[in-house]
This record gives sequence, structure tokens and C-alpha cells, in this order.
Amino acid sequence: MSAAQALALEAIGVSKEFGPVKALVDVAMKVPAASFHALLGENGAGKSTLVKCVMGYYRPDSGAVLVDDREREIANPRDAHDLGIGMVYQHFTLVPAMSVAENLVMGRSRVPAIIDWRAERRELAAFMERMPFRVPLNAPVASLAAGEKQKVEILKQLYLDRRLLILDEPTSVLTPAEADEVLGMLRDRVRSGQLTVLMITHKFREVMAFADEVTVLRRGRLAGAGIVRELTTADLSEMLIGSEQIPQSAAKTARMNADQRLQIRDLLAEDDSGAVAVDGVNLAVRSGEIVGIAGVSGNGQSELMQVLAGQREPRQGEIRVHGEPYGRTRTEMAAHKVFCLPEEPLRNACVAAMSVAENLAFRVFDQPPFAAGGWWLNRAALHQSARELISRYRIKTQSPEAPIATLSGGNVQRTVLARELSGEVEVLIVANPCFGLDFLAVAEIRAQIVAARNRGAGVLLLSEDLDEILELSDRVFVMFEGRLVYETAIGDADLGTIGARMAGH
Amino acid sequence: MVAGSLGWWGVPVAILGGAIRVSTPFLFVSLGECITEKSGRINLGLEGTLIMGAMTGYAASFLTGSAMLGVLVAGLVGLLLGGLHALICQQPRVNDVAVGIALMLFGTGVAFFFGKPFIQPQAPRLPSIDLGWWTDIDQLHSALQINILFPIGLLLAPVILWALNNTRWGLIVRIVGDSTDAALAMGYSVNFVRLAATALGGVLAGIGGSFLSLYYPGSWAEGLSSGQGLMAVALVIFARWSPLRCCGAALLFGGAGAIGPALQSVGVTEGYYLFNAAPYVLTLGIMILTCSRRHTLAGAPGALGVVQ
Amino acid sequence: MAEQSFAAAAEPAAEPEPAAPSADGGAGAFGEKLRRLGEAAAVPLLALFASLVAFGLFMLALGFNPLEVYELIWRGAFGSYFSWQNTLVRAAPLILTALCTALPARLGLIVIGNEGALVIGGIAAAAAGLAVDTAPPLVIDLVMAAAGMIAGGVWIASVGALRHFRGINETISSLLLAYIAIALMNHLVEGPMRDPSSLNKPSSYAIPDAAMIGPMPGTNVHWGLAFGVIFAILSYVLIERTTFGFAARMVGGNERAARMAGLNVGRLILVVCFLGGAAAGLAGMVEVAAVTGRANASLAVGYGYTGILVAFLARQNALAVIPVAILLGGIGASGGLLQRRLGLPDATVLVIQGIIFVMLLMSEGVVGRLNLFQRTRDG
Repeated sequence: MSAAQALALEAIGVSKEFGPVKALVDVAMKVPAASFHALLGENGAGKSTLVKCVMGYYRPDSGAVLVDDREREIANPRDAHDLGIGMVYQHFTLVPAMSVAENLVMGRSRVPAIIDWRAERRELAAFMERMPFRVPLNAPVASLAAGEKQKVEILKQLYLDRRLLILDEPTSVLTPAEADEVLGMLRDRVRSGQLTVLMITHKFREVMAFADEVTVLRRGRLAGAGIVRELTTADLSEMLIGSEQIPQSAAKTARMNADQRLQIRDLLAEDDSGAVAVDGVNLAVRSGEIVGIAGVSGNGQSELMQVLAGQREPRQGEIRVHGEPYGRTRTEMAAHKVFCLPEEPLRNACVAAMSVAENLAFRVFDQPPFAAGGWWLNRAALHQSARELISRYRIKTQSPEAPIATLSGGNVQRTVLARELSGEVEVLIVANPCFGLDFLAVAEIRAQIVAARNRGAGVLLLSEDLDEILELSDRVFVMFEGRLVYETAIGDADLGTIGARMAGH
Repeated sequence: MVAGSLGWWGVPVAILGGAIRVSTPFLFVSLGECITEKSGRINLGLEGTLIMGAMTGYAASFLTGSAMLGVLVAGLVGLLLGGLHALICQQPRVNDVAVGIALMLFGTGVAFFFGKPFIQPQAPRLPSIDLGWWTDIDQLHSALQINILFPIGLLLAPVILWALNNTRWGLIVRIVGDSTDAALAMGYSVNFVRLAATALGGVLAGIGGSFLSLYYPGSWAEGLSSGQGLMAVALVIFARWSPLRCCGAALLFGGAGAIGPALQSVGVTEGYYLFNAAPYVLTLGIMILTCSRRHTLAGAPGALGVVQ
Repeated sequence: MAEQSFAAAAEPAAEPEPAAPSADGGAGAFGEKLRRLGEAAAVPLLALFASLVAFGLFMLALGFNPLEVYELIWRGAFGSYFSWQNTLVRAAPLILTALCTALPARLGLIVIGNEGALVIGGIAAAAAGLAVDTAPPLVIDLVMAAAGMIAGGVWIASVGALRHFRGINETISSLLLAYIAIALMNHLVEGPMRDPSSLNKPSSYAIPDAAMIGPMPGTNVHWGLAFGVIFAILSYVLIERTTFGFAARMVGGNERAARMAGLNVGRLILVVCFLGGAAAGLAGMVEVAAVTGRANASLAVGYGYTGILVAFLARQNALAVIPVAILLGGIGASGGLLQRRLGLPDATVLVIQGIIFVMLLMSEGVVGRLNLFQRTRDG
């Protein structure tokens, strides 16, 4: 393998529009060779778009991309790869059914027509010797945990001799300890001159701890750049959010701990492949409290959410609401006033082809006044109610009849919020409510959740964002491999312990 | 019962011989569909391809005098139909299942339309290998006439398995079939790979169809195939997308399909239609046993939408 | 937990400037309705036009004059009072069998076992009719209709059950059940139910003449057409205007969201599949009671398969099924004329149907690609 020589990258005056949307406006970024560069920005700031221009997924409308001080025409990802630029995405690009070895070999730009596996395995073994972390070569990728998959993705880039590595929120699926391990190893490689790293992140801690320099984007424009050593988190914060009023995180009123709203006992559930995903979960949520479940993605949170929402049948266990057995039927949901905000709302809580008005009616369409006699739809009442909710919750849509699929992510979430939270709520189950949303929408949604709690609802919050859990919860649990492995009141919460438990220690 | 024959032993013997005969089209069609599904696409139009293969193979054999040429032509027609399926499916918003149904009806219609003049005449049939030279018991002898396509099909299975694991193209097919995202990220043209895989599946289905008209039942008529193309799809699921298991499953289905004629050969004619329904019932039964509503089947290519 | 797909991640991340919320909800709603109607009709119309052209070219390639062929099809389908009768008689079962696909399709199920439900319905109706053959004719007809609908309904409800409880693909299972139904019919009609006097074509005994469904007053078209139209209208109202239909459409749109709303998905699937099967079973009963008078292999002549095309062409809309069924009934009716005048084989009608189906799907793709009716994403 040739001695890797780290690449330098520069973007000058890059602009990109998608119809009326200005994703990037005249953005400049300078990444010196053998440096660790952070690209900071809120959701929707344009970080992904900029990086996709570098990788050749998009062609910038104007501006230039320079690699090693030479302007380059990167028309597609293959061009980027040939230049030695590689990217590790937020979602995995590994083939689940194939082994790690097969994934690595097939990732090459030149694969022989007939593969001599014995020779390939020998080379791979030699390569792995030189790497600071190990992964099982013959295991099918589907059987690896999220953290291991992320390591394989990075290994793949190194195997392919990439000299500029772009990482898109690499630590979102890692425990704090794993994140440090991976970023530390990459920084060592950068120090040795073999690699340049451009990391997209929204976590200040990572920027301060690992990056040499930082570029900050806000709403598609360059909001600031600088050497990390010379900046404080306050500086970063100001560049990130600008002079906007930072909405105060909603105040939580003190609550007298009252009745048990939700009880889960010995819950066991399987995932889609038949493996145990929820492995004996016990917890109780009282009225007027937010119980937060922290954990790295893939430890059973999705399946737990799906069971509670009625989308997955548990194998064993008991769920009670207001002390009574809860079968997730429609009558029970209405009687006990149980509501849900699942993750990825368009995918899990909405019918994309139906209109906004119809989506708003999912909980009530079979009750008066929307259903005459309980069976005939009163469309006029439906539309009237929809118009009210749209204006009350500031849902931006061309008309109540527009299919909900035409709304942006934030407005879809607002629609689901309007549907679930506009009435009286006694039990609320929420999962990853703010994923992929812009700053204002995030603040709005969190405020709504706290408001529901203040009104007396018992709230169960599952989130992969530890900050969100710490900000909102009254009590914190950690979920690892389907079990709850830690419980603490928010006042006694210790970040170190929580992080360790998330990793299974 | 004929004196000097095997008596009731004739039934299992006939089933064995019948199994080999009846399973041959299943073998080819299922191996073809296995490749297609490995690339992440389901082709329900194989019934139409099968019938078109039967008709064009028969017609080509009749017009040229060579049955092998008929098989070739049938394969070519299968290539075109498979390609058509893929081209339509790759358009946005098009439902794979609907395309399959459409091509099933289209293929059947076109086959009957052009096949009218070939119903009466007799075309040259495919040769067979005589493995029964050592016996002069009629039933045994005829059961051991192995048609020439059967060993070719059997050989095809391990070759396909090897190709899927050891060649670049085979691995690309698996990548495209397991994760469209990964394939796109690696820069592979998902549409082209599926086009090739579906076309190849069509070739094998066409060949399987030609067997029906050129060997057993050995003539071109309406009602030649009734659902074999569809059963092959179920067969692939039952075989968990493994080419070798497809062979075993094909033989199983062939055996089921041979029960009716085998019983007829010893004079049992009651319930003829019911016995001929055995393959369908078997398919349904197998699907009930292997599918589960709770989880995806192990081995299912990730991009295949139809099986959960 | 939250792994976005690559395709979704390709969407621009930036939120666009918010559009002014629609103050005039009325005009917006109407415009939306018009747009939806336009989008719904565009694909089938494009498909029919393209099929006409394609079939014309096909005829040209075979040495026929396409204009002459078009003229014959028109004449055979809609050119005279007689051809209209013919067309409507063919349309009657098509409306019903199409519902067997169209209704489950609203739940997201693609069912193609219509032929099987029709056959099973016909057999059950004949058996029931023969069992009560001493009752007054109206009673016989009611019993036959009930038997046909129940048999067909159970047949397709099984498909729904297999899908819901065992995750078995309903397209495959419904077609398998269709083949099984046909085998069962053949067995019964040649065996236990056989009328010994039916030598040429094995059939069951005939139902009493008085119980035969006669023509509607002033026409030669039997009442089966009315049954079909009524069934279609009721189905439409059920799906579009009732809470049951709303729930069904939720399941069809996104089963996960329907479950989250606590809907009983299993019950919805079973009921709707039963209704679809009942429609096809009724078609079978009508074939026996209005056309042949007895159950035999002429039950399985392809009304079921054509019904699939009718449903798709009508975009699974129960009301649209009526005109589409008339159109396809007309094409079927013209088959005889094409055969007599031009010597074309009877499979010509199958070819036309196949071309229409293929063109329909390609039109979906073309309209999708051109994004003719695509809205811009809103803030």
C-alpha cells in the first residue's frame, strides 16, 4: 500500500439551490492537509449539502471545490473516491447479509471477475494487524452492533486507502467511550500525516476535544470559522445560533407524585428477525412526570416503542394503564387517553397519501361530531376541526387537503403533535421526537412535551439524544441490550455513570 | 393391471419418473427466479414467460426441425420478456407485483394468439438419455428416461451458487438485492443489475417453458401451464433463496405433480382433478409452514419487498 | 433506532422559506380536488390511448388495416343496440369480479384470485339452488345469491387471513386458491354433481327454469348488471364515506399508523376481503342463474382475470369500475366480430387486454417521471 498522504480540501463560493430552497449560499471552507476539521451546524444548516457537493452527489450551482489546491470537477462519488475522498454516512452503507470481508472487498473500485478468497483473506488479515480496532471478518454485518458497524465503515475507508475522510455525525450510534476511542484513533492518524478528517457534528464537546479547526454554517451560509484552541463554547454557540432568542427550555412545575399511569412488567418482545429485543423491562410512570430512557440506538428502544404503540405484539409481559390491563385497542386508547409520538412520524404515525385534515382526524374520526351515528363520516366537521388545529399549531401547509407527504419534517411532526396533544392526555409515549428538525421546531416540541407533563400526563420518553433526556426527564433509565440497566432521579444523574451503562459496563 | 408389470409398485416408480419429468420446468424457472430475487426483484410474470417459451419453442422447433433450436429461441423470448418486466419496474411509482400480473396476462394472450396454427402439427421433441437400458420392465424403463434438460438444470444450481459467492457479478447481484442503499453508495447501477438478473431469470423460465411443449406433455395447447410460473416463486421462498435447495424443492413439487398421472397409469381415475390440485395445495401448505407474520424470513434479500 | 434511508437523506436539509398559510381554504380545497381528479384520470386515459396506438401498430405489422380493426371493435362493442346488449351482458360479471381486486386493494392487498371466487360462488350457488329447488323462485334466487356470496367471501377472506396471520403474500395465495377452486369445480361437475344427461360438456343439474334471472324490462340484459352496479355503488360509499372505510384506507395507507391508532387490522382485512370475494361469488351465481342455468367449466372463462385489469384501470375506485367494466366488456364483445370478419383468433381480446395492462403500468411510470402533478414541498 502506498504511503498515505493526507489531502487538503477547500470550498470557495459554493452555492446550491433546490428549486426555491437555497441550501447553500456562497459558502467557503478551508481544510488544511493532515488536520481534523469540524463542520458544525444545526439541522438544516446545509452541512450535508456541502459535503455532498464535495462527494459528487450534487453539482454546485456556482463556486469551486479544490483538492490539494487544484480545482477539481467531481461529477459523481466515483470521482471523489478516485481522488482519495471517502465518506462515512449516518446511515450504514454496509450490506447486511454479507460478511465484513465481503463488504470490504466489494467496496474496492477494482474487483477481479473471479475472487480468490484465500488470497483476499490473507491480505485482509494483514491489513487488520495494522488497525487499532478489531472486527470479526466473517460475521455477517447484520449480526454486528451499531458501534461495530460504524467501526467497520471507518475501517472500510482506511482499507480503500482514502486520504480525506468525511464523517457525518459518526458518534450518534456510539457510546461516549466508543466515541472517544474512534475519534481518538482517527486523530492519531491525522497527527501522523496519513489522513485529513472532516467531521460533521452538532456536539460542542467533540469539537472542543478533537478538532483543530471548525467551520460553522447557519441557514446555508458561513456563520464563522476558526481555530478551536482559540474559541470557547460560547463563541461556538453564538456562531451556531446567531442573535436569535434562544427559547428558554420550558419550566417544569413541581408535581406531587400521584397515581401510577403506566406500568410495564417483565415485558419481552422480539425484533423483525425473531431475536429478543426487549428482554424483561419493568418500569412505572406516574402522573406529572417524564421518565426518560437513554441508550444507544439498537438496544431495543424501537421495539419497546412499537409494543407500547400497538405496532408490535410482545411475547410476554404485562402492560397496565391506570392499573388496568392495556391491550392497545382503540377503545382502551380513547378511554385511558393514551397518546403516542413515535419516531419518524411520517413513516410510523401518518398515512402519506391522506390529506393533512384526514391525518389530524385519526384519533377522532369515529366519534361524534365527526361520525354521525358512529358510522357516517361528517366531512365538514372534519375539515373545520382541521383548520382550527392547523392555525393553532402553526402547521404550514398549502391547504388542509394537501397530502401530508408534501409537508416538511417539522410540519409533519407538528401535525402529529396537534393530533396527539390537543386534547386531554393522561399517558404520553414519545420516541426521538426531534430527530432531523431545526432548532425552533425542536424547542417547540420539547415545550409541548413539558406542557403535557405539567398538565398531569405521565410521559415516557425514549431518545438517543442524551442531552434531550437530561433536559426533559424527571427520572432517567438506561436501556442496554433490551434491559433497563440503570435508574436515577435527574438530580442525582451522573453523566459518567450513564455513559458507562449505555456501553454495558 | 397389465400382467408382468410392477402392479402397485408401478405407482412410486411412475412418481419417480414423473417427478424427474415434471420437476424439470420447476427447476429452471425456480433457478431463474432465484437469481432475479437475489437481485431484489420479484417477477410474478413468469407464468406468461413460461407459456411464451412453450409456444415459441414449439413453433421454432416445428419450423426449423430442431428441438434444441426451439429451446434456444424460447430462452431468447424469455430474455425479452424478463427485460420488459425490469424496464417497466424501474420506472418510478410502478408496483412490481402489478407488472408481474400484467405480463402474465400479456404473455398468455400473445402466446395463444400466435400459437393458434401450432396446435395440431407435431414438432420434433427433445432427446432423452436412456438410463433404463438394463431393465425390460416397461414402467421402470420409461421412468428412467431422463430428458436432456434435467441434468443441465441440476448442474446449473451449484454453478449459480458458486457464482453468487465467488464472482464479482454474483456479489454485485447480492449487494443490489440486499441493500439498495449500499449498492448506490458503492456506485452500482441498481436498475441495470436488476435488468440483467430479471432477463437471465427470463431466459431460464423460457427454457423451462419450452420443456413443457417439447418433452412433457409434449405438445402445444392451451392449458399447458397452469400456475407453474407462480409456484416457482413460492418454491424460491420455500428454498430460502438457496439454489441447491431449489433443486430439492423442484423435485418435491415435481413429485406432487406426478401423483395424478401416476395413479392414472395404474387405472385410478377417481379424483383426477383433486390429485392434480396436489401441487397447489402443497405450495399453499409449504407457505403456511414457512412464512410467519412476526418476522422476516432468514435469508430473504433485504430489498425484496414482497416477503414482509 | 433512527436510520434514515439514503434516498430520504438526499432531500435538501434546509427548510424552505415558509409559504403563506392558505387563508382561502375553500379555493385551495377545490383546486386540490381538481388536481387529484386530473391526476387520477390522466394515467388510465394515457394508457388507453397508448394501447390503441400499440395495438394498431401490432395489427399493421400483421398486415391488417388498423382503422378497419378500430372500426370493427367500435361496432362490435357500441355500434348498435345489439352490440350494446352484448357489451352490457359481459360488463355485468366484470363489475363484480373487479371489486374482488379493487376492495382489498384499498387495504393495500393485491388479490388476483377473482376467477377462483367466481367459480366457487357459482358452484355453491348451483348446489344451493338445487337443494331448495322446490321453493318459490324468488327464494331459490335469494338462497343462491347468499350461497354464492358466502362461498366467494370465505374463499377470499381466507386469503386475507393467510396474509394477516401468517404473512403469506396474498397475490400468490389467491391465485393458488383460484387454481384449487377450478380443480374442485371440475371434480364436482364431473363427479358428485354431474348431470348424467350432460354428455358433451359435463355439467351439474340445471336449476328450475322459473328461478332463472330474467332480463331487465325493455332490454335483453339480465338483472345481474343491476346487482353489479348496486354492489359497486355501495362499496364506494362504504370506502369513501363511512368510518369503516376511513379505517380501511388508513390500513391501506400505512398499517403501522393504523395500528398506532388502535384499529383492528385483522378484522378490517377479513371483512373487506370477504366483501370482495362475495362480489366475485355473486358474479358466479349470476353466471349460473342468468346465463347457463347450471354449473360447468364455462364458469372459468376469464371474467376473473379480466376483472383484475378492470380494477387496475379504474385505479381501484369502486365507482370507476362501472364505466371501465363496460369498456372492457365492449372489447370482449367485439371479439366475435373480429373473428368472423378478419379471421383473427379469439385470443386477440386477450392480447388487447394484455397491451392495456402493460400500457397502464408504463403510464404510471411516465406520469410519475414527468411529475406532472407534483406539488412543490411546502414549508
